[in-house]
Amino acid sequence: MSIRGKAAIAGVGLSNKVGRVPGVSPLALSAQACMAAIEDAGIDKTEIDGVMSTHCFSADFHRYSIAISEYLGIQPTFSTNIQVSGGTSAAALNQAAAAINAGLAEVILFTIGDSMLTGMTPDMALRAMSESRDQQYEMPFGIPASNTFAMTCARHMHVYGTTRAQLSEVAVTFRNHALNTPGAQMTEPITHDDVANSKLVSTPYRKLDCALISDGGVAWIMTTPERAKSMRKKPIYILGGGECYTQEHIFLMEDLTVTGGVTSSRLAYDMAGVKPSDFDVAGIYDCFTGTVVLCVEDLGFCKKGEGGPFIADGNLTYGGAIPTNTHGGLLSFAHIGNGGSTLHFIEVVRQLRGECGDRQVAGAELGLFHSLGGGLSSIATTVIGTEATL
Amino acid sequence: MSSSAIDPFAKPLPSPDPDSQPLWDGFREGKLLLQHCADCGNVQYYHEFFCRNCQSENLEEREASGRGKVHSFSVVYRAPGPAFKGDTPYAVVLVELEEGPRMISSMIDTDPNDIDFETDVVFTTEKINDDISLPRFRLA
Repeated sequence: MSIRGKAAIAGVGLSNKVGRVPGVSPLALSAQACMAAIEDAGIDKTEIDGVMSTHCFSADFHRYSIAISEYLGIQPTFSTNIQVSGGTSAAALNQAAAAINAGLAEVILFTIGDSMLTGMTPDMALRAMSESRDQQYEMPFGIPASNTFAMTCARHMHVYGTTRAQLSEVAVTFRNHALNTPGAQMTEPITHDDVANSKLVSTPYRKLDCALISDGGVAWIMTTPERAKSMRKKPIYILGGGECYTQEHIFLMEDLTVTGGVTSSRLAYDMAGVKPSDFDVAGIYDCFTGTVVLCVEDLGFCKKGEGGPFIADGNLTYGGAIPTNTHGGLLSFAHIGNGGSTLHFIEVVRQLRGECGDRQVAGAELGLFHSLGGGLSSIATTVIGTEATL
Repeated sequence: MSSSAIDPFAKPLPSPDPDSQPLWDGFREGKLLLQHCADCGNVQYYHEFFCRNCQSENLEEREASGRGKVHSFSVVYRAPGPAFKGDTPYAVVLVELEEGPRMISSMIDTDPNDIDFETDVVFTTEKINDDISLPRFRLA
């Protein structure tokens, strides 16, 4: 069984504004994104027969997918919520493609909105994220959401000699990308010194090594290839998907420098029939700078341990091996909670459609999307491409 | 757990479950208990109903030596919520126990600058109330 070429993205959308958006509820942010995606696809809302969503941090919903359906005034016949933390964004794509392929739905809307910046105090936003840690074996010790990412990065620095400057390069590269992206939360340039001198958060991480906290909503619409061809935009096809859930607790992660991305990406690449050097553009989960170092290794762009030098050589930007997070990523565009990396996915879709203007990667046909979360417990990869890649 | 259901200014305390009650009982008595599988030899932290490796229920509970080495660590400067703000900076440590399993906790009575990879640490407990003592580590 494979989902290769059996589903396509027909529409994508963001809330009217992403970043600091006071006075707009999570459902309203989500609904704005949904209407933008519906408009992008050029369909009527009644054509949507499946709705998928995930966990919202700033408001309590047991069934976000149903709440947003009611808010939009639609009555889908397929509805589900995926909660695998940061990995949700790619996992939802894989699972939506599977649902379409299985005939459970024909036009699936995925959406989430969250108000982590203005809907919660900074302390409570950090607490909400750390509450995803285990209540018995992690939370009592004051372990922040950053901790597992910090300890894996620290170990990588210890074992492979990854440096402060290499971590800073991730932050500076993605900030430069954000400066070219209308609507990005961060609008000022940063230097290596700025990153290295920013406030300590949890060693080795400093403030500018860490994802933003933001408000915003995201949505995409997936359908069958046949149906997508009749819609407004050029279809972007799902070519492969893979997921891997190696452990729940970091103390059961066998090697702190190797993530489940090795497996999730291999599964996705094999399904798609591609290799790392084939990709034109990527969206890679960048909750912390060091996480990107682990990811580029596990995704096969370089050997284990060589992620730092690979990034320092400029490989994550234009002209490099794999232009990544051309919108600015979680570090500089926005981080809206579980839907955060759906922003990366939307950017990759727009790159493959050729809609990115000044920040367009010339001739982009094949895209990689990699999301993770839950302290490296959830990892998911999706490969997408234009019709030329089918 | 939703953020509205609990007091954010109080440190979160564990709610032991039927699997973990013996482990927390051990902490209360100052002991770190590990489960040893009599069938496959797997040693596991934390307590489960069966062996995580072979699903045997033939588990022996033994007190650990308490000795371990720092496998990785991170010194927290930005606390995860209001309850821990007064404690910063503090070192969260991933400790590899002499018996093999790793566990995560934080150091007490330790200058965070004294922590490094492979630093020798020993298990201790910190009494929170009559029911709960938290596992901690200090320098060996």
